[in-house]
Amino acid sequence: MILVRIWSVAVLTYKEGIRDRALHGIGLLALFMLLATLLATQLFGYDIGKVTVDLTLSTIGLAGLLMTFFININLIAKDIDKRTIYCVLSKPISRSQYVLGKYIGLALLITVSLTCLIAFSSVVAYLCKASYAEAYFKDFSWTCYYQACGYELLMLLLLNGFVLFYSSITSSSFLTMLFAVSTYIVGQTIEEIVVFFQKEAETIGFSSPLIQHTVETFQYILPNLSAFDIKTMASHGKLMTMSHTVFLVGYSVAYTALLLYMAILIFKRREFN
Amino acid sequence: MSISFQKVHKRFNPGLFQKKVQAVYNFSLDVHPGEVLGIVGPNGAGKSTILKILLGFIRATSGTVTIDGRSPAEADVRTKIGFLPENPYFYDYLSAEELMRFSAVTAGMPSESIKPRMDELLQTLALDHARKRKLRSYSKGMTQRAGICFALIHDPEIIILDEPMSGLDPIGRKLVVDLILTLKKQGKTILFCSHILNDVERLCDRVAIMAKGQLKTILDKENLVSQQTQIKVYVPEMSADQVQVLHTIGAEKKQEGKSTAIICQKSNLPRVMLFLSEQKLECEHLDVVSNVLEREFLRWLEGGK
Repeated sequence: MILVRIWSVAVLTYKEGIRDRALHGIGLLALFMLLATLLATQLFGYDIGKVTVDLTLSTIGLAGLLMTFFININLIAKDIDKRTIYCVLSKPISRSQYVLGKYIGLALLITVSLTCLIAFSSVVAYLCKASYAEAYFKDFSWTCYYQACGYELLMLLLLNGFVLFYSSITSSSFLTMLFAVSTYIVGQTIEEIVVFFQKEAETIGFSSPLIQHTVETFQYILPNLSAFDIKTMASHGKLMTMSHTVFLVGYSVAYTALLLYMAILIFKRREFN
Repeated sequence: MSISFQKVHKRFNPGLFQKKVQAVYNFSLDVHPGEVLGIVGPNGAGKSTILKILLGFIRATSGTVTIDGRSPAEADVRTKIGFLPENPYFYDYLSAEELMRFSAVTAGMPSESIKPRMDELLQTLALDHARKRKLRSYSKGMTQRAGICFALIHDPEIIILDEPMSGLDPIGRKLVVDLILTLKKQGKTILFCSHILNDVERLCDRVAIMAKGQLKTILDKENLVSQQTQIKVYVPEMSADQVQVLHTIGAEKKQEGKSTAIICQKSNLPRVMLFLSEQKLECEHLDVVSNVLEREFLRWLEGGK
């Protein structure tokens, strides 16, 4: 019965999200951008394969972020703002079941939407590949392409964990968005900051294996979202190792689980007046 | 199933450096199985707060609330509860059918009985034609009725309604009143808040009057009915001797502005009429005492005892 209740909340969230006109707008924008890739590649005289991969993956990433920031945040904030949560919590659904159901609903929404976009982007990439000489696509690999899409999805699932966590600490959708955008920016730049500090430490002769190890660990304690961005690798046809993929899946799952656990703890104490 | 509030206090903290707000103060009330109890009170009296505490949306600062002896914090307690919030707001892009299915499934209703029950409720509340329409296209009254369907789909033992008549047109109101009367006949325990005193008076076995977070009084059906059967006979001036005689026949004089009225029980009316003919007093007109609850309500709000 617990699973039925969690699944019911997830389906409710998914249905509400998938029918949202804003989502359709984002979807159309993404489709338009993917179609524009067909034209944009004609502007390049070399590395067309890399440009195709880069543009299609960037469009998928952008659409995923827009969905997270504008649809998913709204889906949770509206529940609290407009008191829709009363109709859920008046049922025999516990706060933890509500949080888990909401997250699964958001994850389902992102996964389904991104899968549609990935399918469409594959058609676009295929058409580009068919339109130009094989030499332009010598580095192109479908495996690398789908691996990069998978990494992007993992990053968005983790980011949605943050969205749910921030929604549990504030009622304002604006603040949730602000925190989520900040997290994304920090997550995307953390690796560069760490590299910068490491170089500085070496320059002033303050580097040691212990410090290096600590700094590397620290970049994963803060959400290292840039680790999921392998667009450049994919465009060069470089496949990430299985151990790296397993590590990132584990990292994403563990981090999301921790965020959901904290969100549940906060939601349990929260009053919905 | 019964509901019990024992010495419930609720204090809200509106924010840093702001004075705490005492929303409910020493509220004790028992709702017996099969009883219909209405809570009336002005805005800000604490009625909705009481219902939110009962459903576990907020926690009481002190005191205990139990549903059939269990805490409302236990999610399973809510299996047998149907709740309609004040000004319900549901998911925009869902249909009434989907909403009701969610309610039924989460309450553990067997799947084969969901469809017949859904049909029955949608027909009763005249929403059958709009069952597949998205809720965002519903009028306020339709949303309210969809909310009632949502609350009742799983045939709950306890029904909690916060302003169930709000936003309903006269036809919608009649549908809901009839539905509550049917539920009452089925022996459901119903607790509801309303501003529409006539409906409360008509539907409830007991009425709790709240003001400023406190329970002022509880009126039962006998209180209301005995007063409802009172008759007012308006007459011209009466002498002091006539008033003395009036008391001996179990009636009393009441001055209402420039008018003089004799108030008596309905059963006592023939004796009063005989008194009038003996005293050669002309009966200007008769009036049945109505809006008893309204007068009681106003009396308690003005600090009556």
